[in-house]
Amino acid sequence: MKEIIRITFGLTLSCLVAGLLMGSVFIITDEAKKQNEQINEHRTMMALLGYDKQNPAPSDFNMHTFYRYIIQEGDVKTLGYLLPVGRGEEVGYDLVILDLEGQFVRKEKVGLTPEAAAEASERKAALREVLPPSKSFTYADSTTVACLGDKRMAYLIPGEFPGFKTFIEVMMAVDPSFEVIGLEIMEHEEDPGLGAEIEQDYFKNQFDGKSFDQVKGLKVIKEPMPEAYREYLESETSEETIPKEAVDMVRRQYQDEDIYALTGATISSQAVTAGVKNMMKKFAYRVEILNDVISHQDIPVVF
Amino acid sequence: MPATTKNSFQLVSNGILNENPIFRLALSMCPAVGISTTVMNGVLLGIAVLFVQVFSSCTIAAIKNYIHPRIRIPTYTLTIATWVTVIDLVLAAYMPTAYKEMGIFVKLIVAFAIITMRLETFACKNSVQASFWDGIGMGFGFMFGMMALGLVRELLGMGTILGYDVLGFRPLLFFVLPAAGFFCVGLMMGLFNYIELTYNRKKKGT
Repeated sequence: MKEIIRITFGLTLSCLVAGLLMGSVFIITDEAKKQNEQINEHRTMMALLGYDKQNPAPSDFNMHTFYRYIIQEGDVKTLGYLLPVGRGEEVGYDLVILDLEGQFVRKEKVGLTPEAAAEASERKAALREVLPPSKSFTYADSTTVACLGDKRMAYLIPGEFPGFKTFIEVMMAVDPSFEVIGLEIMEHEEDPGLGAEIEQDYFKNQFDGKSFDQVKGLKVIKEPMPEAYREYLESETSEETIPKEAVDMVRRQYQDEDIYALTGATISSQAVTAGVKNMMKKFAYRVEILNDVISHQDIPVVF
Repeated sequence: MPATTKNSFQLVSNGILNENPIFRLALSMCPAVGISTTVMNGVLLGIAVLFVQVFSSCTIAAIKNYIHPRIRIPTYTLTIATWVTVIDLVLAAYMPTAYKEMGIFVKLIVAFAIITMRLETFACKNSVQASFWDGIGMGFGFMFGMMALGLVRELLGMGTILGYDVLGFRPLLFFVLPAAGFFCVGLMMGLFNYIELTYNRKKKGT
């Protein structure tokens, strides 16, 4: 009996010490980790739009993010969009509620600044204030709109879909007519050397420049990739410079091609292609409805 | 095994050669088979194991007198898990670029047999200092084993070394598939045994 008490005591104590250590390290590092993630996300967005250190964004470039929530009361579901709107000189947020058919229900002012809106907990508190307690809401997704002056330049859509083993997280940039500008793989756990090749330029750049109609009908083909096409896909980052005319010619030749599967990783290739297709379809459908509502209701959005 | 009498250099070289975790102790075969597809993977996993092994060994060696023998294994697991979590969090916060490459490997280490086994046979019987050097030796030994495997598999499977194209073509894609890991580990183990045998025979002969 004495023995078992000693064992229990010892285990509890070591668990407590371990928990304390892990907890304190978490508290110390959490801030820095979040900051890193934000920096990383921002850098990826800029890179997708073609801006980097050598080629900085013009001064009238700005980005605004809107958030989609699913609001539920009993069995009735509605969609709530947190849209950045211009209030005089400042940017505030409006909650626009739509029903599932895309019809406008109502609009609420929300007390959020763009900085505060980037924090999930701040958004939650602000929504709680304007929504009655009988309604529950869950965060669905966010979209960033990149503008030059007051013209929309691109939508940046984060997405997630199942890969070979677990979820693949991506960030996609599309222009206002839903043509793909670029695709970036943010996180994945595909097999090194096989599925992990989805992050290589020669795979993910195949999506660049595909129009919405092309994306809707994309297929994966299992054929060796032509050498010239591969060189073109890798030309953005490679050190050898290919003459511009040659690049344009290759682009014209292969622009309408389907996606060449990775050797030994057909499932990962198909997963990415299907995921991108799905993301695009859903996104285009939602944005068109949202644009309709914005123009009919005269919501002074900033993008 | 009684408390060791070896000095720090012997402890380190012991981990790399005489008791190499992969080729001699045949422990932690799962990562050896699964992840050793490239040299870089081997280096990164090796660094991660090195840190966890050293920290865990030192911790266990420091508190060895207070661990009840009946619950030593749960205590080891708890120690390893704690250090893995701490390293994971610190890397994610302060070394984001390294974490991007290593993150997936660090989380795998909790289940590595080599670390638990080293705590059981070495750290709980020796001083903190000896355990520290033993941990370093085991970490480097593991890294060396993974790099050797990665070199063979990357070269034969993808025709590259550290991502640089050496051969210009891919000889046998089979070598990057998990099954080839067993072949490589087996063949390299055989090679190591053969080298040791001939070395010992020569030593006896002279």
